[in-house]
Amino acid sequence: MTQDHTPPQLRMLAPESFREKLSRRAIFKMGSAAAGLAIVVAACGGDDNSSPSTDGAPDTTDGGSPLASGDWSRVINAATGTLAMYTWGDYNDPELVGKQAEGALGVSMKVDYFNSNEDLITKLATSNGSSGFDIVVPTGPYIPQMIDKGLIQKFDKTLIPNMVNVDQAYLAQEWDPTNDYSVCKNWGTTGFMWDSSVITKDLVTWQDFFDACMNEASGMCSVLDTGPNLWGAWCWANGKDWNSTDDADLDACENFLVEELAQHIKKFDSYPSTALAEGAYTLSMAWNGDARQAYYRIIEAGGDPSVWKWALGTPTTELWMDNYCIAAGAPNAEAAHAWINWECIPEISIQDLQYHGYHTGMRDMATLISELAPDLDRGEMIFFDEAQVAMMTTQEITTAIDRQVEMLNKMKAKAGA
Amino acid sequence: MTSAVYTNDRRRWRGPKFVLAIPAIIWYLLFFIIPIAFVVVYSFGTKDTSRLLPVDLGKLTTANYSQVFDDTFFKTFKATLRIAIVATLLCLGIGLPVAYFTAFKVSEKWRVVILTLVVVPSFTSFLIRTVAWRIPLAPNGEFSRWLVDLGVIGDRGIQLLETQTAVQIAIVYNYLGFMILPLFVALDRIDVRMREASKDLGAGRIATFIGVTLPLAGPGIAAGVLLTFIPMCGDYVTATVLGGAKGNMIGSMIASQFSQAQNWPLGSAMAVLMIGAVLLVLASGALLVWLVPFILKALQPVTQSIRRSIAERSLASSKGDKPSTARGIDVMRIVFAIWTILVLLFMFIPILLVLRHSFNSGSSFSIWAGHTSTKWWGELFASGATWAMISRFLVIIGVVLLVRRVLLARGNVSKRVTSWMGPLAFLLAFVVNGVASDWFRDIFDFAGIGDSIRNSFTAAIGATLVAVILGGLSGVALARRPGAWTKIFMATVFLILVTPEIMDAIALVTWFQRVGDVPVLGYLFKNGLGPFNGGMHKLWVGQSLYASAVVTLIVRARLAGLDEALEEAAGDLGATPARAFRQITLPLISSALIAGALLSFTLCLDNAVISTLVSEAGSTTFPVALLGATKSTIKPFWGVGAVMLFMITMGALAFVAVVLRRSGESSSDIAATLAGG
Repeated sequence: MTQDHTPPQLRMLAPESFREKLSRRAIFKMGSAAAGLAIVVAACGGDDNSSPSTDGAPDTTDGGSPLASGDWSRVINAATGTLAMYTWGDYNDPELVGKQAEGALGVSMKVDYFNSNEDLITKLATSNGSSGFDIVVPTGPYIPQMIDKGLIQKFDKTLIPNMVNVDQAYLAQEWDPTNDYSVCKNWGTTGFMWDSSVITKDLVTWQDFFDACMNEASGMCSVLDTGPNLWGAWCWANGKDWNSTDDADLDACENFLVEELAQHIKKFDSYPSTALAEGAYTLSMAWNGDARQAYYRIIEAGGDPSVWKWALGTPTTELWMDNYCIAAGAPNAEAAHAWINWECIPEISIQDLQYHGYHTGMRDMATLISELAPDLDRGEMIFFDEAQVAMMTTQEITTAIDRQVEMLNKMKAKAGA
Repeated sequence: MTSAVYTNDRRRWRGPKFVLAIPAIIWYLLFFIIPIAFVVVYSFGTKDTSRLLPVDLGKLTTANYSQVFDDTFFKTFKATLRIAIVATLLCLGIGLPVAYFTAFKVSEKWRVVILTLVVVPSFTSFLIRTVAWRIPLAPNGEFSRWLVDLGVIGDRGIQLLETQTAVQIAIVYNYLGFMILPLFVALDRIDVRMREASKDLGAGRIATFIGVTLPLAGPGIAAGVLLTFIPMCGDYVTATVLGGAKGNMIGSMIASQFSQAQNWPLGSAMAVLMIGAVLLVLASGALLVWLVPFILKALQPVTQSIRRSIAERSLASSKGDKPSTARGIDVMRIVFAIWTILVLLFMFIPILLVLRHSFNSGSSFSIWAGHTSTKWWGELFASGATWAMISRFLVIIGVVLLVRRVLLARGNVSKRVTSWMGPLAFLLAFVVNGVASDWFRDIFDFAGIGDSIRNSFTAAIGATLVAVILGGLSGVALARRPGAWTKIFMATVFLILVTPEIMDAIALVTWFQRVGDVPVLGYLFKNGLGPFNGGMHKLWVGQSLYASAVVTLIVRARLAGLDEALEEAAGDLGATPARAFRQITLPLISSALIAGALLSFTLCLDNAVISTLVSEAGSTTFPVALLGATKSTIKPFWGVGAVMLFMITMGALAFVAVVLRRSGESSSDIAATLAGG
């Protein structure tokens, strides 16, 4: 089927052998040359005879990676200078941020890390719009207050044409219905991971998690270092809505977290994967991507990954979404747009996904993965079936946020006492 | 007659006594007193997250203070003080024998070796050394498994990671050097004749130590305690990296109030109380020391009887076996030597681990993946540029050495020229390499952390310059023109020393925000100047505060021992005050300035807390970037970066040492300088 001799600029579905010759750089150059036309590279949908190329797909460091079939926008806008991104730890493939961005976009990137949305807001708020950061990556519910405080600026959407590649399900979210300020970087959820040689019973619900934490895993248990997540877990365990502002619930939650749970906690750790592999915990509340990382670390440390189990807590858990935004006063807004647009190209997006292990919100994700990353390991920790997605809820910033943060602080003080 | 008029003229020209301290006074007023005053004001405000600066000063309240006292927060306060006091005492206990041994029991040559070995670890990144402690403490780590195999500990391995004990170990480790050096300097200054006299008068070794050596070393002990206890109280890094929930310390708790909880009023109240607590502990410590003579006097009858009985017993035993004393001395010396070796080994454990784990084949710094790999170093040596650079160095230095040899053979050039050729060749090679290739860029761009290394040096060098200028001038003013102002100034300096870093950080961050739109003052911090952005200017200010206070004290101490006759003589001979300063005072304080510069350079290079809060994109330093990475996964290339940073620092120091040596300072002076004295 793919034997036709259509010029590659128009028909990117080139023969296997030709694809391998195309270096990644060359593809980008073609893309940018045609950028003015904003070509949407079309391919015949069928592609019947060839199974998607499986060789070397996950390793994207050098040329020869395949292109996804289907109707995708792959516009690349070149930019210049440096691009400063302020993001969560270990959140982009270093290859992308390094050599590839330099090659494809012509920008050299500098990345700094924050630990919480509040950290990010404090940094931007205390620098009078001169923080020097171009791209910031807040979690959805924090976006409205960042708009109110004038910390982020509106996109020039004509510079992000590849946004059409993002699944409608992850666009037009409550916090930014028109996507004027933000676009999904990736989303994830929260669950827990445990050493089944220590905790022999099966953990399913959030109530199971708390029980194990206070019994078998007492003193060897870590929880996320964010107030809303701990409040959330209590709500999910007790069948409450975590977006309610009910004082009685807040009091009951605080009482449980501070008086009962805190003493059993070993650490408030938002990224437990390394410490899990070091053997510091037997039970950890974790985000799915980090939990997935933990399996690789455990293998590296010479441990046995088969004893470690992972579960999304039932009956309810969260769906969080981190978003690319452009900081107000960004020194290089042009490059910021170029990067965001570039990250919306399916091949780039999947490369990043393979690194950080979170769903990047591209449409036709199943097809993309089967074509671009068929060897992807532990996909069940990245992609979720409908039943699982149905039990995920999104956090809203309510008036109770201060209470939630305060709870965490009291818990920390109690745990240390 | 004329000379009298002359003198009067000169006196009037001098202006107020504190004229030399004016730069420091302005600096401290602008960047310490006023910002800190704001933090004190915030502590009476209420939280309001709808504002850009989330503090409402509309209704002032003391609720924040009562919250700190009522709550479980107070327990963290106590835990922090306990950790810091125990660690200070441990440092003293571990460090005193080492300092004693180094000062009295070894030859000059070994003294330099030991001191160098004590100093060298502090030139490795503080943060990476702390992270490296995770390696031996990990329950699944090799060390732990080895102990399990030996049957020393149970099946679950070492259970220390994320506990208070881990924090205690690492905190002792992190500050041990800052205790040993002042102790050594103090002991080294003791006149040996005092100790000999004590022995001649019949006092035993222990009696001499307690009765003579220890009191004379008092100032050194006090300096060591201050240099360790205060930063320990505000320590944020160690607890964050190793502490877990049980090892939480007040420094990280205050920081989380500001960033995570956005509760600035409560955080401010905690910080204010913390300064109070530190001052209280120091005051009670001082009171205790002041009381010691009285207690001893009260106990005199008891001690004397004990002493008498000991003396009788030793007399009796020495009658029987004379040579035992001689052998006893040897045994003591060997014990001290073994102790010193063990302590030095302890100080090098994390550094060796950093080096080894930079060759880790895995993807996480602290988890050893079984075998070595050069992939993390590979990035640095991937291009042929590195080898070209090394060969250029070798060629240029080789040529210069050859020329030098020829010149020496002819014998008609001054020694001055030949002795300077080595360092000059090095500089030349450095410059040529920079011009001929992109090797600065190649080295500094690798793995994305090169920038942070460069920023670290830019920040540390700038802040050190500020600290040396401010501290040098005010140190001279304090020693030479004391007056009513001295007390206020010294109180400020002391306050700077006891203020936990996290409070400075918060004070400055909010202050920079406030002055951002003020003309002149705000311009540099908002817009930057030339190649240095606003963040770099903020780093210079933030890092220079503590450093300049340290330099002030060192310079003042140096000048206190010298009278002003020389400067006056210069004045009488017609030198202007500026000239007298340049030609007389400056040479006198040069060793103190160099010591101060080295100390502040080390402190600035490691600064994480202030830097994290004030830095911006493009001014991220190595500790700031690494602290960011500790929040998720530390890749082994951070080890590579730390080793690079260490090598560059050591190279720079070696260069400075060579230059100093060529300019005529004796090697022992340089050793003393490096040792901070």
